[in-house]
Amino acid sequence: MIRLLLPVAAIGVFFALSWATVFLFHPRDPKRFFLGYALLLLVATTVAYRALWPIERIEDALGLACDLLLQFLACLTMWNAFYSVLWGFSGSLMHDLFNEPALCDRERLIRSYEGDGELDRILARRLPNLVRGGWIEWRDRTLRLRPKGVVMAVGTLASFKVFSLGMGGGVK
Amino acid sequence: MLVRVAFAIITLFAAQALLVAIVSAIRPRGNVYLTIIVVSLATAPFAAFADRLLFGRVLDGDGRLFLALSHLALGGFLFHFMTLPDRSVTLRIFVELLLAPNRELSVGELAGRYGVRTMIGSRLAQLQDGRCLTIASDGAIVLLPRGRSFGRAVTAGRRLFRITSAN
Repeated sequence: MIRLLLPVAAIGVFFALSWATVFLFHPRDPKRFFLGYALLLLVATTVAYRALWPIERIEDALGLACDLLLQFLACLTMWNAFYSVLWGFSGSLMHDLFNEPALCDRERLIRSYEGDGELDRILARRLPNLVRGGWIEWRDRTLRLRPKGVVMAVGTLASFKVFSLGMGGGVK
Repeated sequence: MLVRVAFAIITLFAAQALLVAIVSAIRPRGNVYLTIIVVSLATAPFAAFADRLLFGRVLDGDGRLFLALSHLALGGFLFHFMTLPDRSVTLRIFVELLLAPNRELSVGELAGRYGVRTMIGSRLAQLQDGRCLTIASDGAIVLLPRGRSFGRAVTAGRRLFRITSAN
């Protein structure tokens, strides 16, 4: 049981590093830092575990696997909470409704997202990043998937079918 | 030894994913996240006692505990994985482009298939189902106690991380 304390310590370090990075440096793409910290801490846990409990039996190997899985899951949960709650769509809606009483009206809320330009607030944040990341091509006012975008789209469509998710995208 | 453990982990994950897919196919309107939690918790005892099947011998108490916890963690990964196709706006945009004629759309056509009005309408309906808010027939939105707590938590979290702009 004491072996489970290793991931607990690593999770604390992950949170501290992630918080300090975002708070102090405002990186453009925090997930790269989150991923880097999570992987480094997995290596650190593996090294510490093997030094403390050499792998001699299946139980020892299983303990290491369990520690690594729990640790990575906790890191992923923090990372996902950061993106989906603090930065995501539903979290942003609740933030706006809580802080701007004038938006507590369905039409006004929708208009605040639609904006006045060609792109609404949702697409304006995403499309430039997707173009820069090589996922889509945006030429002559037309959007096209690039090869790695096709792979991702096919995988997503397969998930829709395998897990009966409808069309995803947060739309029920 | 590590290869056998890796094989056991892959087997446990595949078994859970398969069960979730079967349950979701039987109950397509059910909540997939609830399905994952129920499947993971309900099958954890079986995972703990699958030691002979997975390793060819009986494990000690700690070994079985690690096996059950690993199984639950794998359920957690499946939960996180599911948020990608189910919730991601970006992935839905990719799918809309994939399904479009010649795999291309103008911004206006994309907005017609999956636009802000659809997205916000659906999210508000989900927040209403989750008792975070109510929407009157004239469109007035009232935050309920749960919604105010949610809004307060997001506001505090953004302050904690000094996030000034988001979606």
